[in-house]
Amino acid sequence: MSLKSLDPRVNRLNLPDGEVPAMEPKQELDQFETYEAFHQKKDGAAFTYVGPVHAPNEDVAFLFAKEQYSRRFACVGLWVIRTEHIQVTPYGNDGENIYDTLRAAQPTEQSEQPEPYEIFHLKKRGKAHTHAGRVMATSYLEALQEAKSAFGEKGPVVNIWVVKSKDVLQSAEEDKDMWTTIPEKKYREAIAYKVMDKITKYKEENKTTAQ
Amino acid sequence: MYGGGNVFEATKFDDLQTEDPAKLAEFEARIARGEKIEPTDWMPELYRKQLIRMIEQHAHSEIIGSLPEGTWITRAPGFRRKMAQMAKVQDEVGHAQLLYSAAETLGKSREQMLTDLINGKSKYSNVFNYPALTWADSNIISWLIDAGAIVNQMANARGSYGPYSRALERICAEEAFHLKYGHDAVVHMATGSPKQREMIQAALNRWWGPIMTFFGPSDKMSTHTETLMRWKVKMASNDECRQQFLDMYVPKIWELGLTIPDPNLKKNAETGQWEFTEPDWDEFKRVINGDGPCNAERLAVRRTAEERGAWVRRALLNPKAKYVKPLA
Repeated sequence: MSLKSLDPRVNRLNLPDGEVPAMEPKQELDQFETYEAFHQKKDGAAFTYVGPVHAPNEDVAFLFAKEQYSRRFACVGLWVIRTEHIQVTPYGNDGENIYDTLRAAQPTEQSEQPEPYEIFHLKKRGKAHTHAGRVMATSYLEALQEAKSAFGEKGPVVNIWVVKSKDVLQSAEEDKDMWTTIPEKKYREAIAYKVMDKITKYKEENKTTAQ
Repeated sequence: MYGGGNVFEATKFDDLQTEDPAKLAEFEARIARGEKIEPTDWMPELYRKQLIRMIEQHAHSEIIGSLPEGTWITRAPGFRRKMAQMAKVQDEVGHAQLLYSAAETLGKSREQMLTDLINGKSKYSNVFNYPALTWADSNIISWLIDAGAIVNQMANARGSYGPYSRALERICAEEAFHLKYGHDAVVHMATGSPKQREMIQAALNRWWGPIMTFFGPSDKMSTHTETLMRWKVKMASNDECRQQFLDMYVPKIWELGLTIPDPNLKKNAETGQWEFTEPDWDEFKRVINGDGPCNAERLAVRRTAEERGAWVRRALLNPKAKYVKPLA
């Protein structure tokens, strides 16, 4: 016997009816690794954190992030970073500047030549990290020190993310046309639905009033 | 959309006795100041446990809730409605992804959550155990279930946990379209031919019972509930949400000349509160515990999707992959 549904597509699946044994617990990494996505709302705006995705590799992560975070709202650029590649400072209290509490320490790993790092600031708890800028450094710790002198003095920063620029997968300038589909899909906007005329007309014809 | 009505477990309340008093005081002071909690902050076990439970149930509700409406994509009347219905279903599944990630930051893996959903260990909103018999049912879900969800989500977005608030902000922004789309579809039927009116009225009659249970039974005010409110995990009582929903939507239903199948439903002019026939909580319990018209089908569909997709995920898995939980 297979499960009977109102939905013909479900019937075609021939699902077993009645008691079924419990599913084996899913294995670790069945849902892959995590990546963090950042979007740019308009040209010139700072990239802002939008959230994580699960994906088997960077390219798929980019695709998923594009679907998940740029599908519904204006977007002109997208960055994707493997979660593992982001170094996170401790979180401060709102209103504090976490740079003030960072103590100089000896980096465990250092590159011979300085390389670019991207710095993201969280200005207030509950908000999203935004891109503060790029610094050159030989380690994550040095990048933080550089970031402190470059843009650490401008008001509260409760948390900092530091990433090597080479670990950021960035959408390319020449692929910009991939963001242009949004205006075609007006049926996804609340503003596309105007019901008041129909309701008013109906009420006039039937003289109903809200009780 | 969201299955509201969280019934919080009345766990042993001495949970808090084992927490470090200094850390607990600092945590509570942060919330009292209106600051959000971020994933690496110290938090009481009870806070972590209840948030995981709540966010996970919310995620499951999104993914299961997309099934009754998904059923109607291919049969939606006309291209525009097919596309809109598809966009809405895609949104709901996206919301599940956002919410699973928010729950993950608290330490429960997505693998574990999906396993618990399929094996019936975690719940989802009970309303999705009822069928969408006709296109009109799908419209009632789009409008009124989403409306209920928005009441809930707007409240929860003001909660204390950073990742959940961030996810809810995005979700609420996307849901604005769902509500208008649903309302438009219902108005279209209600102001259409006699046959269309009859269909939408019948669907409303079928869904009113489940809708009234959507926010869950009245909260028992216990120390437990008080703590969760003080910690801004629970932002409004189930009754407050239900009253707000009735206030906003009953007039909109009545102005279409539709009737609500509860002769006792009226607003008490003195108290300003809606009075109604107490929903059938016995049926609610029976259905949530597995004995509803669609429980088996919903889980079987979800399970089949997981099982039939497993080989693709295995094939794609990088052997060097290492799991790190999402940051925020």
